[in-house]
Amino acid sequence: MTPAAVYLFGGLAALATLLMLFQRNPVKAAMLMLTALLSTAGLYLALSAQLLAALQIILYAGAIMTLFIVALTVMPQAWRDHPARSPFLKVLGLAASAVILTELVKLSAVLKTVPRSLDFSETGALALGRELFGRFAFQFELLSLVILASIVAAVALAGRRKQA
Amino acid sequence: MSAYNLAGISFLLFALAAAGFLTCGSVVRMLMFLELMLNAANIALVALGPQPASQAYAVLLFAIAAAEAGVGLALVITLARSFKTLEAANIKELKG
Repeated sequence: MTPAAVYLFGGLAALATLLMLFQRNPVKAAMLMLTALLSTAGLYLALSAQLLAALQIILYAGAIMTLFIVALTVMPQAWRDHPARSPFLKVLGLAASAVILTELVKLSAVLKTVPRSLDFSETGALALGRELFGRFAFQFELLSLVILASIVAAVALAGRRKQA
Repeated sequence: MSAYNLAGISFLLFALAAAGFLTCGSVVRMLMFLELMLNAANIALVALGPQPASQAYAVLLFAIAAAEAGVGLALVITLARSFKTLEAANIKELKG
């Protein structure tokens, strides 16, 4: 893959996130988020991470986006979205993120001399599976506990009846 | 292409998502931007890390993101039910 693909998909993701900042309609914002996530999948393809690109589409663009859309439809409050934030707080937030960006870019200046080849290489499911079940086996098993805990928490929170 | 350019792309995405997180008022939207921040961190991991290991870690992070979205949306639904609003500025009481 050429660097052009990386810039194209990275720019598309950045543009979608930028447009999301100014979008008032929550479903349109969710669609822009979908664009950002799909262009991230393209970025993974450009970085020769084929399995991750597929997982990104299935997990992020499929499962998590569906969850957001369902959450937006069951909460009618989301549609009566009246901004209560003061402009001062917005400017403060933008300034804080600008500081984060400049500091991160400044810190990463040491990476200028590190080359990153974008030549096509195949990182298939086999190599990933060897890592997951070999070196990262403990983390992988811990993750199943995390997911179990999150399922229990989600059911306990969302299924709770409102007390009078 | 150096690793600096790739890091710059992921940092830009992270900063944009952080700006959205800090400026928007609705909690659902905050959660969306939080997912995008995690996504940008994932990009940095895949772009800069040693190849098979960093991708395996990114798979672990995918699962973390899914778990986080599930718990986060359940929390938001509970908040919306008890406060009748999704604006973070209108949620002022600690007792639900």
